[in-house]
Amino acid sequence: MTNRLTKLVMEEVTDPVELAAAQAQREQFDRNSAWLQAHASEIYPKHRGKCICVAGEELFVAETASEAVAKATVAHPQDKGRFVHYIPKQRVSRIYAY
Amino acid sequence: MRIDGEWFECDDGFVRPVVRGEILNADGRWEPAAFLVDTGADCTVFSAAILDVLGFDATTAEGHLGGVGGVVASVRVSTQVRLPRDDGGRAIFRGEYAAFTQLESLDMSVLGRDIMEMFAVLVDRPGDVVTLIRQPHRYAIET
Repeated sequence: MTNRLTKLVMEEVTDPVELAAAQAQREQFDRNSAWLQAHASEIYPKHRGKCICVAGEELFVAETASEAVAKATVAHPQDKGRFVHYIPKQRVSRIYAY
Repeated sequence: MRIDGEWFECDDGFVRPVVRGEILNADGRWEPAAFLVDTGADCTVFSAAILDVLGFDATTAEGHLGGVGGVVASVRVSTQVRLPRDDGGRAIFRGEYAAFTQLESLDMSVLGRDIMEMFAVLVDRPGDVVTLIRQPHRYAIET
């Protein structure tokens, strides 16, 4: 990294209302993530170079992430656990380490 | 404190260690996001796709990040990352984060050492474990 960022501060959430909302969102996120994993072999090759959003265990595809989210929000406005992802154009091995 | 992740199948067929959490967006709502557990990354970085849905105006805070492929343009955003604890609680990491602006730069957001250095990080594919641990939790290596 060439530009150092500020040090992060960790806090613990104790508000029961916030925790309940977070848990509900998490359960939706879990379902959408599991759905994506179950359909990975179909979705990834078909939508290379696109942004996807899984909401309500349904796939939405667009050129940009915000467009995919907009489509998903219309179809599943109550789903706060959407899974947004970009599928790279090429299927290649990757080295990250940014 | 214990934060559990998972092994996640990516588009190239490789299964990588991931922690799923949320990022606070410009409207004050939590946006779900998956983070690759990358012990070689100095800092946590958001993918361009996630930056897009977060809705921040990050055009004035530009930076650069160096990776294996060279130096890539990025922006900075001040926000919070929230990760789930195994006891149902949540941990929040507040501060300044980097984000890529080009989709091909990074397919998945990266959890870097700015967060991971607060934890012991267990990434064990044979044991099917991806976990961040901090006191009072501990781990043991047994023979």
